[in-house]
Amino acid sequence: MKGRWIFAVAAAGALVVQGSADAHHSFAAEFDRALPITVTGSVTKVEWANPHARFYIDAKDEKTGETVNWDFELASPNGLMRRGWTRNSMKLGDVVTVTGHRAKNNPHVGNATTVVLADGKKLFAGSSSENEPPTAAPQ
Amino acid sequence: MTAWLKRTLLACAVVLAAQPAFAQWPTYTSKSIPHKRDGTVNLDAPAPRAKDGHPDFSGLWERVGPGGINPDFAALQSKDGGPPAATFWNLGAGVQNGLPFRPLAAQLRDERMANDQKNNPDAHCLPMGLMQLHLHPQPRKLVQTPAIIVIMYEGNQGLREIFTDGRSVPELNEDLQPWWYGYSAGRWEGDTLVVETVGFRDDVWLDVQGSPLTSAARMTERFTRPTFGRLQIDVTIDDPNAYTKPFTVRVNQQILADEELIEFVCNENEKSARHFDP
Repeated sequence: MKGRWIFAVAAAGALVVQGSADAHHSFAAEFDRALPITVTGSVTKVEWANPHARFYIDAKDEKTGETVNWDFELASPNGLMRRGWTRNSMKLGDVVTVTGHRAKNNPHVGNATTVVLADGKKLFAGSSSENEPPTAAPQ
Repeated sequence: MTAWLKRTLLACAVVLAAQPAFAQWPTYTSKSIPHKRDGTVNLDAPAPRAKDGHPDFSGLWERVGPGGINPDFAALQSKDGGPPAATFWNLGAGVQNGLPFRPLAAQLRDERMANDQKNNPDAHCLPMGLMQLHLHPQPRKLVQTPAIIVIMYEGNQGLREIFTDGRSVPELNEDLQPWWYGYSAGRWEGDTLVVETVGFRDDVWLDVQGSPLTSAARMTERFTRPTFGRLQIDVTIDDPNAYTKPFTVRVNQQILADEELIEFVCNENEKSARHFDP
């Protein structure tokens, strides 16, 4: 039960992810390494669909105090499922803290690198950015 | 309710609760896969043979070896003196002095990189090139029959036919409809399957960096299965429109035993491209 074993390890917060990240598009096409973000909010929607799983959270904008809905991109469902996650791993209403990077052209779209529940449990360890280099320099 | 019935129901409940909540196909152990005494797959067992005597390449295969955009050059060199391994990001990462681009091809590749590969067909749910499919981190299933070999690539649901019924690839001419995956025909040379492919489109990407392939290309793949667990494909690209000379790279795959493809339909919820910066 390989998938189950991986899930158990992940739940313990000790997952070391190797291998397949999503390769649908290059990180730099959409996101900016110079715009790191940390956002905390409650989950309003989960889209467990290709080519990227996505989730949405309501979070308070620090500057305006208004609640805004963030759109976060994860790896593809097939990659996440091989690591033991399922479409029900994240629940509506979960309060999560997301670290990642912001999209270049939208202030409330991001790529999630880590997703941590209020109790410290990590969700979806490994994201679509993990195999990406810091810069896509020509070789 | 009798004590016996209570115990039976309790036992059933415990068994059911112990079952993992499978998110895909439950694990099914194939009897044809050789295992060691400790239960792990014996990757070094002899490669199986088909009824016609040829090596059987059927199975689910996963790319192995260095990846990423800046792999160690030395790590990509083959220990047996064969061609260097290619990577999904950069086909020529292990080639001394890189791929032999013609000036226009180098310019096109540089433009694609400067543009953050936004025009990579895969980023818009269009097909990947065969080399991207060979090297993609998601697996591929190869099904071999005497007259045809089919490869189902999980990455972007690529599907490819390789005819082994004695036919040759079509003659390249202006009427030949160019295809993303081209027209493939294979023949056996001992235990090596040699596959020729022609008839590509002009907008195929060989790797994520955008190394081009054109309709003038002829691709020759030499498939071997040295052991049960390993598949080796040496690929020669001869594309006089894009490259000054043919070059050869290696693709290394390892068997993924007792696993299955997972459906991947790219366009079911594609929302990334709308965030690509202009």
